[in-house]
Amino acid sequence: MRRRHHLPALLLAAALVLAGCGGAADGGALDGPATPSGPPQSGGELTVLEDGAFAGGWPTGLDPATNTTGGANVTQMSAIYGGLFRLEADDDGANAAVVPHQAESTEIADEGRTVRITLREGLTFSDGTPFDAEAVAFNFRRAVDAPCTCSPNWPLAQDGIATDGPRTVVLRFERPYAAVINAMPVTNVNWIASPTALQEKGEDAFAIEPVGAGPFTVVSNQLSSELVLERNPDYFKEGRPYLDRLTFQSIGGDQPAYQALLAGQAQAYEGLTTTPLLDQARSQGRLSVAVQPATSPYVVQLNTKAAPFDDPRAREAIYAATDFDAIAQGLFGGEFPVSQSFTGPGGLFHSDAVPGYTGHDPERARALVGELGGLEVELGTLGSYVAQQVMTALQTQWQEAGITVRTETYELSTLVQEFNSGNWQSMLQTAGSWDPASGVGVNFRFNADSPFSGVADPELDALFDQAAASVDPAERQELYDAAGARIAEQHYAPFGLAFAPANLAAPGVYGPGLTTLIPPIVVNSGVHWDEVWREPQQ
Amino acid sequence: MAVADPTAGTPVPAAVAPAASRFRLLRYPDVAVPAGLLLLVVLACTAVPLLPGIPAPIGGSVLDSYLPAGSPGHLLGTDPNGNDILSRILHGGRSSLLVALSVNLIGLAIGGTLGALSGYVGGPLDTVIMRVLDVLIAFPSLVLTLAVAQSLGPSRLNTILALAFFSIPAFARIARAATLRLREQPFMAAAQLCGTSGRRILARHVAPNIAPQLITFGMLGAGIVMVIEGALSFLGLGIPPPAPSWGNMIAQGQQSLSATPMLVVWPCVALFVTVLACNLLGESLRDRWSGR
Amino acid sequence: MTAAVGGREPGRLATALGSPALRMVGKRALMAIPIVLGASILTFWVLSLIPGGAAQQLLGADATAEQIAALEQRLGLDQPGPVRYLQWLGGAVTGDLGNSVVSGQPVTPVLGARLAVTGQLVGMAFLISLGLAVPVALLAAHRPNHLFDRISMLVSITGLSVANYVLALLLVLVLAVQFTVFPAIGFVPMSESVAGNLQSLTLPAVAIAFPLFCFYTRFLRGDLVDQMQGEDYITTARAKGIGPWQVLVRHALRNSAFGLITVVGLNLGTLIGATVIIEQIFALPGLGQLLLQAINTRDFVVVQACVVVFAVIAVLANLVADLLYAVLDPRIRYGSR
Repeated sequence: MRRRHHLPALLLAAALVLAGCGGAADGGALDGPATPSGPPQSGGELTVLEDGAFAGGWPTGLDPATNTTGGANVTQMSAIYGGLFRLEADDDGANAAVVPHQAESTEIADEGRTVRITLREGLTFSDGTPFDAEAVAFNFRRAVDAPCTCSPNWPLAQDGIATDGPRTVVLRFERPYAAVINAMPVTNVNWIASPTALQEKGEDAFAIEPVGAGPFTVVSNQLSSELVLERNPDYFKEGRPYLDRLTFQSIGGDQPAYQALLAGQAQAYEGLTTTPLLDQARSQGRLSVAVQPATSPYVVQLNTKAAPFDDPRAREAIYAATDFDAIAQGLFGGEFPVSQSFTGPGGLFHSDAVPGYTGHDPERARALVGELGGLEVELGTLGSYVAQQVMTALQTQWQEAGITVRTETYELSTLVQEFNSGNWQSMLQTAGSWDPASGVGVNFRFNADSPFSGVADPELDALFDQAAASVDPAERQELYDAAGARIAEQHYAPFGLAFAPANLAAPGVYGPGLTTLIPPIVVNSGVHWDEVWREPQQ
Repeated sequence: MAVADPTAGTPVPAAVAPAASRFRLLRYPDVAVPAGLLLLVVLACTAVPLLPGIPAPIGGSVLDSYLPAGSPGHLLGTDPNGNDILSRILHGGRSSLLVALSVNLIGLAIGGTLGALSGYVGGPLDTVIMRVLDVLIAFPSLVLTLAVAQSLGPSRLNTILALAFFSIPAFARIARAATLRLREQPFMAAAQLCGTSGRRILARHVAPNIAPQLITFGMLGAGIVMVIEGALSFLGLGIPPPAPSWGNMIAQGQQSLSATPMLVVWPCVALFVTVLACNLLGESLRDRWSGR
Repeated sequence: MTAAVGGREPGRLATALGSPALRMVGKRALMAIPIVLGASILTFWVLSLIPGGAAQQLLGADATAEQIAALEQRLGLDQPGPVRYLQWLGGAVTGDLGNSVVSGQPVTPVLGARLAVTGQLVGMAFLISLGLAVPVALLAAHRPNHLFDRISMLVSITGLSVANYVLALLLVLVLAVQFTVFPAIGFVPMSESVAGNLQSLTLPAVAIAFPLFCFYTRFLRGDLVDQMQGEDYITTARAKGIGPWQVLVRHALRNSAFGLITVVGLNLGTLIGATVIIEQIFALPGLGQLLLQAINTRDFVVVQACVVVFAVIAVLANLVADLLYAVLDPRIRYGSR
């Protein structure tokens, strides 16, 4: 079995649950003073804050193959390594697409069984060694077996990673996997480390002071605390990056981060999720607020493999008792749309309405509970501010329908144990990603193989596999619509509002993903650090 | 938990005051006022929630979230989940007071006994007990509480156990110091000369005489226990929401402090009034008992 | 307890450092060893109770039992507890606190850098709390139940009932956001700028110090009032015509210092514990931050090292308290304290 579902995935999931707000109707929203007075300027330093519970934690270091929290550390990883591919979008988040970055082009052949990735010419790592096909193949081989949810779910054929000349890497799959490129920007195969530096320093030291070919190089790295980077003069893009120095600082929560930004000790914060603070930041207008287009809706996972949710009536009762519209209204000011499937409006293959989706119907819920002779359930989630509020609201709604609800808040590690035990009943989580086939996508919550799935449905699995294999967007749309309808018909898991976190920036700071919108490919949007610039201080 | 002997340096009362004179203490305004205030807090938290018309502290509708103070039916407004803040303060107080009381009682029972025994018997037993307690005191208390709470999982009972773990050495130290001072009193020697058994001396002479100091300490420590319960909540342990306690209300509210300050202010006010009453009562009792 | 205190004696420190006081302090120092050992054993035991192992954390949720077992063997986690403890202890006495289970980094150098931050933070908090508590308590005790005493009581009780993290956020809102006097987050090393260093630690130190200041003030004020009202030597001093301030400072304070020193020593654990929370809020790269991260990632080697360092600090502080007793009063009876 390909090692794909790992504990750090839960870290991702945790942050997804944490991510309690953001995203207007479908394209996200921009507020505050974010219009530059002139063209980008070079120079200056920037401190960006990251929540210690998510992106601000990198306990295992920053080597793509050993970083178990790579999915959370996309921002640091792309600052150091750049990336073969990255997700780009118009300033308003529209027309998002994964485009080659350090790669130059890709070619998909054999109906998606062979993928050829060609690199740009003349790339070097910041230690001066060549960034060639051999280096990429070396990294791919290390990364596919890494203990991280960010390691790719490639259905590799025997010896499936090869080179063809100095600039081309060839991947061969045993079955079609056309989603490979869209999944790249959140997987560790996207980040190419210098094999020479790795060998010279040894794995442990390399994880602390990694060497890549990205816009910045490492000056100092205090794990999960502070990462200081400086401009890489050999970066392949002429005149980039703009900033001379970039510092990532871990901080204990949204409130201190918001205050630090106002006080001027930092210039950016990624991943604000606390709703009242978001409102305050917007109304004060002192910072630019980019609420990213939502890609991941809440989902109440039901464990269909065990009582009481092995009974479809119990699942339908939950659907009928749940009123996510009220939660979206009450807790989030009606700002975010309620989804009926596993993607949000900012993601690919989203449909506003799913045929056959049964919504809030308290009478039906009470009738079903009566039919079942009562219903007792246990509902869990990860301990975070927003998730607990949503969980509390769900508990109240379900109890109004006559369901007895016990709630449980888990730590990451105890949540894993609970999933592994198979005894769990229902979990408030988030599902989906920009491309459903990538990252903590729909498979994570619904595929029979996933340890974090409550569903084992061969029909659904077949739909997912076909959708990931197809190169035809129209066909994929059809397959994902069918999957959504199947989930609704079987009442596998009711979906809630879709949201994405917000990025804050101080006045005079501009950059794609920071003061423009880019759909979050998993949790936070991928900020393009090489394009971030700062107006000179007076 | 903070460890201190607030009674250090005060002379030991010559003999035990009879029970009746304890109530006579209430005649003094510096005892009666804080005692009355504390009683008021306790009554408000235990009896008022039982009255009809008081909304439930949990199970509110999200559609009523973030109502401002003075909204119809919600004197202090509502929290993000649409629950009445006043009701949560009252119910939360019950939880906080229960934690403070239980932690103190456990500390008093175990720590007080160990300390009195250690001080009275002396010798190797004293050394062993005190060194073990030194180990506990040498620990950064929050750290071990964190570890204990993590291994046991968050719940009210486990919060009490984790906090009690640290009130024990504090009570023990105070009991021991008080017992040592007591041992020098003539009536103790007299009791020993009369051939009274050690157990009887401990129960009849030591316990009642060191009780005032331990009670005083418990009064002063009660507030600290309630604040530390909030610190645990801040770190994701403590009393698990949605059930309210003052500590977890403060810890939840601080996450959006600048935007929703009142979510923090109200439980802080409740805590302040309680800590004030406890402190004043503790200090007045100490003064009265030490004959000042 | 009512030691009469005479005038200045130039040889007091010398006397204190001579026997028998020095011997008593030496004995206390020896006693510190089993205390630290006990604390480390206790940590080892408590950590073994926490569910979820580092191996699983590293390997991910779908790691097979064999994979976990293999990694545990590589990390030495498959050995019985006492064996692991002794192995750890063997390294610890030579200054090698092991390698982080999660990152593979040697713990000792990481700890050193972090200790510098936390040490300075704790030191500043300690100085602020005590430096303010003594004059405030003196002023309050000078005229008990008058205006200043009443105000100081209200302030103290406010401080005792406000959680330090709320105080920290409020301090930042006022002194860093509203008036940009101090930075809201971050640490400036002393080597970079002394002023910047002090500025960067002021708010976190105050947030930790304030509740302790309140506690010390309440304690010292109470003790001073007791001394002033009841003790014979005070009456004597007054009868000799010594002014009330002099009596308070020279006589009562000197005597009350004993109790205060004990309280301060015993509260060091609280002081250190507060760093765990405060370093989170101020993004300080200290031991508290490291400890919390290590607990969350189940990096028990790091947790163990942090707790032992904390315990050593607490024990050392209590030793210093003992030494201070000796300096203040060479005749102090150690056995009974």
